[in-house]
Amino acid sequence: MFRLRSMPGSHQRLLAAICWLAVVNGPLESAAAAPDFDRDVAPILIRRCLECHNAHKAAGGLVLQDQADLRRGGENGAAVVPGRADKSLLIERVQAGDMPPLKRGQSQKLPPNELQVLRRWVAAGAVWTAGRSLDQYELSTDERAGRDWWSLQKIQRPAVPQTRDGQPTVNPIDAFIRERLADKELVPAPAADRRTLIRRLFQDLLGLPPSAEEIQAFIEDDDPDAYEKRVDRLLSSPHFGERWARHWLDVVRFAETCGYERDQVKPGAWKYRDWVVQAINEDKPYDQFVLQQLAGDEVPGRNEQTVIATGFLRLGTWNDEPNDPQEYKYERLEDMVHVTGTAFLGMALKCARCHDHKFDPIPQLDYYKVANAFWAGFIEPGDRKLLGGPSSEQLGYDVLGWTDRGPRPAPLRLLKNGDPKFPGSIVAPGHLSLVTRLDRNVTPPAADAKTTHRRLQLARWIVDEHNPLTPRVYVNRLWLHHFGQGLVRSPNNFGFRGDPPTHPQLLDWLAAELVEPSLQRNARPWTSKRLHKLMVMSATYRQASQHPRQADYSRVDSGNRLWWRSERRRLDAESLRDAVLTVSGQMDLRMGGPSFRPTINAEALEGLSRKAGAWKASPADAQRRRSLYIFTQRSLLPPLMTTFDFSDTTLPCGQRNVTTVAPQALAMMNNSFVHAQSRRLAQRVAAAGGDTAAEQARMAWRITLGRDPVAAELQLAVGHLERQRLRFQQSSGRGADAAAGRGLRDLMQQAVLALRADRGVKLDDRGHVESWQDGSGRAHHATQTASAQRPLLVKDAINGRPVVRFNGQRQFLHLAGQVVTSQQFTVLAVLTDVGSGRHRTLFSNWNGGAGNSVTSLFVGTTGPFHVRVSDDWTTAPRLEQPGQPFLLTAQADTHAVHVFQNSARIATHDAPLSPRNLKTAYVLGQQGNINGEYWTGDLAEILVFNRGLTSSERVRLWTDFASRYALPLQKNSSDPRQLALESLCHVLLNSNEFVYVD
Amino acid sequence: MFPCGQTRREFVWQMGGGLAGTALAPMLADDGFFDTQLTAATTQTANRNGQVPRSPRFRTPAKSVIFLMMNGAPSQVDTFDYKPALQKHAGQSLPADKKYINSGGRKVGFLTPGWRPFRPGGESGLMISDYFPLVRRHADKLAVINSCHTDSHAHGSALVAMNTGKTFIGRPSLGSWAVYGLGTSNQSLPGYVVILDKRGGPISGQPNWSSGFMSAAYQGTLFRPTGNPILDLKGPGHLDRGAQREQLDLLSRLNQEHLRQRPGDQNLAARIKTYELAYRMQAAAPEAVDLSTETPNIHALYGIGRRPTDEFGRNCLIARRLVERGVRFVQLYSGGGHLEETWDAHESIEKNHGRHAAEIDQPIAALLSDLEHRGLLDSTLVVWGGEFGRMPFSEGRNAPGRNHNPYGFSMWMAGAGVRGGMTYGETDEFGFEAVTDKVHLHDIHATILHLLGLDHELLTYFHQGRNESLTDVGGRVIQPILA
Repeated sequence: MFRLRSMPGSHQRLLAAICWLAVVNGPLESAAAAPDFDRDVAPILIRRCLECHNAHKAAGGLVLQDQADLRRGGENGAAVVPGRADKSLLIERVQAGDMPPLKRGQSQKLPPNELQVLRRWVAAGAVWTAGRSLDQYELSTDERAGRDWWSLQKIQRPAVPQTRDGQPTVNPIDAFIRERLADKELVPAPAADRRTLIRRLFQDLLGLPPSAEEIQAFIEDDDPDAYEKRVDRLLSSPHFGERWARHWLDVVRFAETCGYERDQVKPGAWKYRDWVVQAINEDKPYDQFVLQQLAGDEVPGRNEQTVIATGFLRLGTWNDEPNDPQEYKYERLEDMVHVTGTAFLGMALKCARCHDHKFDPIPQLDYYKVANAFWAGFIEPGDRKLLGGPSSEQLGYDVLGWTDRGPRPAPLRLLKNGDPKFPGSIVAPGHLSLVTRLDRNVTPPAADAKTTHRRLQLARWIVDEHNPLTPRVYVNRLWLHHFGQGLVRSPNNFGFRGDPPTHPQLLDWLAAELVEPSLQRNARPWTSKRLHKLMVMSATYRQASQHPRQADYSRVDSGNRLWWRSERRRLDAESLRDAVLTVSGQMDLRMGGPSFRPTINAEALEGLSRKAGAWKASPADAQRRRSLYIFTQRSLLPPLMTTFDFSDTTLPCGQRNVTTVAPQALAMMNNSFVHAQSRRLAQRVAAAGGDTAAEQARMAWRITLGRDPVAAELQLAVGHLERQRLRFQQSSGRGADAAAGRGLRDLMQQAVLALRADRGVKLDDRGHVESWQDGSGRAHHATQTASAQRPLLVKDAINGRPVVRFNGQRQFLHLAGQVVTSQQFTVLAVLTDVGSGRHRTLFSNWNGGAGNSVTSLFVGTTGPFHVRVSDDWTTAPRLEQPGQPFLLTAQADTHAVHVFQNSARIATHDAPLSPRNLKTAYVLGQQGNINGEYWTGDLAEILVFNRGLTSSERVRLWTDFASRYALPLQKNSSDPRQLALESLCHVLLNSNEFVYVD
Repeated sequence: MFPCGQTRREFVWQMGGGLAGTALAPMLADDGFFDTQLTAATTQTANRNGQVPRSPRFRTPAKSVIFLMMNGAPSQVDTFDYKPALQKHAGQSLPADKKYINSGGRKVGFLTPGWRPFRPGGESGLMISDYFPLVRRHADKLAVINSCHTDSHAHGSALVAMNTGKTFIGRPSLGSWAVYGLGTSNQSLPGYVVILDKRGGPISGQPNWSSGFMSAAYQGTLFRPTGNPILDLKGPGHLDRGAQREQLDLLSRLNQEHLRQRPGDQNLAARIKTYELAYRMQAAAPEAVDLSTETPNIHALYGIGRRPTDEFGRNCLIARRLVERGVRFVQLYSGGGHLEETWDAHESIEKNHGRHAAEIDQPIAALLSDLEHRGLLDSTLVVWGGEFGRMPFSEGRNAPGRNHNPYGFSMWMAGAGVRGGMTYGETDEFGFEAVTDKVHLHDIHATILHLLGLDHELLTYFHQGRNESLTDVGGRVIQPILA
């Protein structure tokens, strides 16, 4: 029995057990019997000698691959003297422990039984089976895998085990799992309760939490098929495709930009994402899924969709300024070979770029054989605008795809040490040699072909029904995401350095079932949903994540490799964000199309070399979509996503890390997105629940966690609501007192602009405003020298008070000096808006020539009465009856922007504005110096502050305005009771119960 | 739960025992994990390859690194690589047998001597130009490496290479390796901090401080030098510390009850701890950048409050404060955004380097003095350098700028474990390419790791079937510069 030096005992045994090795059995029974060459001798030569004594390396001039080699001997003469072991150099060196040589200072001396075999073989004449040529990749050793490695063996459907008590189990998965558990005298955990199960199923299949009603309905459903019906429903839900597409996008290193300095957007990368979603939803057979991604431009019946699928080859990083564009081709080649080998075959092919693979049976030559498939494509340096791919004309569609430059590309040469400076001999296209029975030639394309058809042939080799890797790797990915760990726990590596399967028989049974369906008549080969269903219907899937004998079992199998319980899992980045949006009632489930850019904290943008315009957040509405649709920019991944272990976008990721670190807590405690959603959630709870603290707490639990609080929790929650309410009341009271202390006059003195139509207005002889004196003392007086552009003063317009009327015909006023000097500010105005259609701006410092075309500060409206507060929040909230006088308050804070009409908060932008360029000149009544977007309506007063106001300050100002202009005031929207509920909701979103799925 | 036969401790280590966060670090400390002073390399390779790297008691002079990254690439023949022969060859072309890639296809001019004179500094008489008169006073602390070379002439890839070892994005950065190998000693601060130049981030952005395929716990944390240095450190105004404490108390009660029903789940327990850690970070991080407690003398020493040294002076002082507080790896960028905002002196060496050197000369000199004065220089390694160097010839006749040069450039190291007052390696007589004792960026990385007590060949991270390392198959420690 060979020894696996590097692994702990249990691991060794597992591995040994599943290696289909011709193991040399102990000392032979009879000393006289000559060892059998093929059975006894060859394995020793292969495992112990061939690594150095092969035709490539020929250490000491000695090769031991065939009979002629043995006869030839090496630099030191004949290796063996047939019949005379004692005279044979080979035996002498092996016996002395010189061979195999030391490795890392450790003796590699053969065990006595192997030495005996060699001695007797030589003594018996060193007979070599005629025509037998040895190959170092033939057999696995304790250093590396050979072609006898478990994952390369033919998949033979194992019989489903019978249960010990003779009862047939319904689900083959459970039969396999229970057999192993029974071996260890373990019993599975009891079934999870229905609340746990339905949440697990929703999160697993849709990536979304079930509603409280959904949970309740399942708990109360006494239909014996209640669970199965839900499984069927969720598997048919379009959101199933969204959830499972994300797993695949991780594998294919999906991102929507190139990376590097310019980090160009790859136009239409989202179409590939949508293609994956649709493929999963329509249960596209996996062989087609593979064929289209590798060769969608070459498949029979190619169409726009199949060409979009070849975007798979375009998703990698792309450097438009490599050190040497010719050498860079080989980096791109490596990316494509690597993603292909990893995604479909679970083999690290890229390791063979520089040398024969150190651990798997992949000679360097094989790398270049396979690389030929991509070499024919647009890998040559080309027009930078095309971002390293073909043009839409060349593709036939305006999509991000891949095709060959022509049917007969320049030959590819093997690179010595993988170094483009040292090209070797030409390598013809071919396939990997690790499964010899799949050997076949790559045929040249037909005379009239436009492409080489090499990728199509590679893809067909990959999905050949006899390829043992493809189905094993794929069903393992399905298992991994349903159960939390794979049957092979290294999903991207089925080679020597990977993890052996915990349940090899089950893995093979599933792989066989994928390719040759047996359970359902007429099921189509390679389809997935039936396997998804089989997995989630299993009792193994449905068991609880806590075992009654958890502590004992953990000692036996701490890694739960035998599946005696379910794995508790933390929500991944996307699921967490989606769950928050769902419970807050804000989720927008629209599918597909271009991605949206979430608001990213201005501070996080500092890492960009091009700050201005580098990241423009999408409108708030678009940001309510699922996280799958977040734009993936390689130089700027959203911090909230990366903090929660978003996948690496440069290399294939089969399974994400799950870290538990303080920055995650900081994000959940303080991030403006989380606070905004807590506020929404509180509003939802308040709208649905009763008036008492207990009723509200109960509703908060129901909506957020899908259950009622237990008595102790309710008590804690009510206490929290009460204490926080008092706290917020006191602090707002303190604010009110302070404001009262300063008084309205003091507050007014802090204004940096204060214009009132009843004060300081100087009219020209036509009654139009020539100048308007700033009452703030900051001397930002408003003036207009061009008489035709002066607005009109109208007396007795609002509650007997005058207004300045802008007619929308080029009327506006210049303001002197820089009005706003802080990124936090508040603008209050009493006005009407009778404009329609286009943008119209009340207050602005826009100046395209001075470079703030997208970073100016302005307040205005657009279309049918939507407020705009800068380009960062372009279509915010809708005003009610803006033709009637109203009070508009726009306040930009450190965490959010709020807009109030009269005293009602009509909208909140859930993030601060990105930094504004405040230095350019300010005007009233149009968009800066654009000579357009003129205001149409009345302005009675405008006040500007260089900070956000407290709620009590706002109330004080509003009260004053309301009394003078007879405006309707409503209940204060940030009352302490509401804030306290928001605080409770925020805590629940932070709770482990919310963040983990049992 | 713990893949590939790893024990929980090893797994936890690889998954996030290091940095910032590292709420898990207390768990490990409870295990006595740190007491053994095993490096991550020990656990990783011991587990994978059956080999133990160097002795756990290996001398570790450097506890921290401050990497002064000269973004845009300063010119060696104008700063630290004294080439008197350029006077002789001035106005001539670089000999035709010297091959190079003309980055960006710019005009090729004539050999041009350094724009400012060189003078000897310190007892060692190390030749340093007048761009760095104050750093020159510390000549006896510096090991100047004049034979550096790298793998790309393009800023984007070369900077990524200087940070991660490879010209392509996606690999863990040097700081990530340091924190992965050694963890951090202050649980309330990130272990790996990056402070950018206000003018902008480096090109290629985030990948320059990414943890690549390692857990996100090892990635660099961007620190802003004023106010709230880390993202999400502060909530909305109405949630003051008292209100937040109230929230955390409720959260803790709910989570404890949740955990009680799920006994033995380390992840749940760890997540509970992260909240207390985060709560402490909210105070610790602003404290670290609060320079008001430093004396006026210190402010003056670093040039704070004066142009043009104010910004880099603050950053250098913050770097010292971070190192004092146990932060493992601090990287300060000089130069940000593009072209002349960085050290990318295509237009004019004198204008560009005059401007940027004036911003950093006094702060760097102050940092070296201050570290020494506080006894921190013995345990802090200071590294200075850009992503490559610049050509010894101009960009056209009488043109005052120089183009990119990856074939030869200068870096220096000072502090913990480094011999001072010496140069190592040489470029040719023109200062064009490294010819003697060439130092590849892998060698720089190997040396930095070595000075931290880590063996670059044994500090590996198992990823997709391969033991990945910072220096991959290359790298050798530059022994002669070690003290």
